[in-house]
Amino acid sequence: MTTAQLDKMRLELRRGVLVLAVLASLKQPHYGYSLRKQLQDGGIDIDEGTLYPLIRRLAEQELLSSEWQQGEGRERRYYQLSELGAQLLSQLTDEWQHLNGALGSLLGTATQERQ
Amino acid sequence: MDLVKRYIAAVQRELPEAKREEIGRELNANIMDQLDALTEQQGEISAAEVAALLKQMGHPRTVAQQFVPPQPFIHASYMALYKNTLFMVLGILFVLHLVEVTTYWLGSADMGLIRYGFALFGGFIDEACFGFTSITLAYWLMSRQQPLANAGCSSHWQPEKLPVAGPGWQHIKLEDIFTDLASYIFLLVVIWYPFYMSAEQLAQGSLFLSSNARLILQYSTPVIVLGIVHSLWQLQQRLWSRNMLASHVLLNATIAAIALYLASTSPLLQLNTERWHGVFNLQQLERSAMITLVIIALFPAWEALRDSLRLRKLQ
Repeated sequence: MTTAQLDKMRLELRRGVLVLAVLASLKQPHYGYSLRKQLQDGGIDIDEGTLYPLIRRLAEQELLSSEWQQGEGRERRYYQLSELGAQLLSQLTDEWQHLNGALGSLLGTATQERQ
Repeated sequence: MDLVKRYIAAVQRELPEAKREEIGRELNANIMDQLDALTEQQGEISAAEVAALLKQMGHPRTVAQQFVPPQPFIHASYMALYKNTLFMVLGILFVLHLVEVTTYWLGSADMGLIRYGFALFGGFIDEACFGFTSITLAYWLMSRQQPLANAGCSSHWQPEKLPVAGPGWQHIKLEDIFTDLASYIFLLVVIWYPFYMSAEQLAQGSLFLSSNARLILQYSTPVIVLGIVHSLWQLQQRLWSRNMLASHVLLNATIAAIALYLASTSPLLQLNTERWHGVFNLQQLERSAMITLVIIALFPAWEALRDSLRLRKLQ
């Protein structure tokens, strides 16, 4: 497999998971840069070109609420999970746990077969 | 900070007007936060470091496309329907244009075969461009509204009603149908033109079939009309069935027989010998017409043979 193929598949694999990670991180309000830092600190590296448009899209779908606030002499747009977003997060979390369990078994079996 | 302003302005230029202000404001806040973090780590930062950060963020057009992804001109859910409409309309336009140009050619003294060919294909390209633009614009407007999920695919379809999985040739191509349809209509126009043209137009005409040949062709009209009906049937079904193949074999065999019979008759042409004096003599032209008719007969004969073989294979 080429590096380009691997990158493409990694991107596809991460795409849905990133939404879940962003929604989960925005239980507390964050502005763009602080959200990125929090995700990075949690082990999820995401570049700004992906993250900032993603949170805007989620806000347009009314899954996040947003507010411009003044802080440290500058304005920043703070995002937080909306009620609709919280409902979706709960459903997506269940789905993720179900998938994770199923995949864990599958990947475990695959690892055993390889050994 | 001039570089940041220039960068944001460049991104905004690539955005739709309604979103420029809001995205520019947000992008500015995000860049300022990143610059603050860099200053915290390294102390004072230079213009080169700001430029490096902006370069790392990406080309302004790329950034704009990340915020507002480009929309396809025609929504993916309409694409199959769009292509089908395009082929149908272009096919119909070709048939209509063929009738128009052929009628003009038959009644014109100064239009030779080469000019006819140019008028047929050049004119069709004009009409095709118009058709293509109109259909594309119509679908573009539809795509700008809320696109339908699975447009053109009825939700009431039944797996049991799907056609039997047959060989690849069983699906009839639109271009084949329209080629046949155009050929039949061309023949009808050529056969019946003396009845709807004035004596003056006939006198100027450039096609000279003998009365004998024209009579044979006129008696063949029901076969040609059946050919048109068959093409319309194909257009409706788009899949060869046994009945359709059997009737197509009969139709093509009859057309091949008519063409061969016509090739065996003499005279085929009725020529103004003065016009062709010193260029061709009557015998040469008659012989060429006869050979052309035999070659023409080979096409339906081949289709009849091919369809007979397919008919034997089809359950």
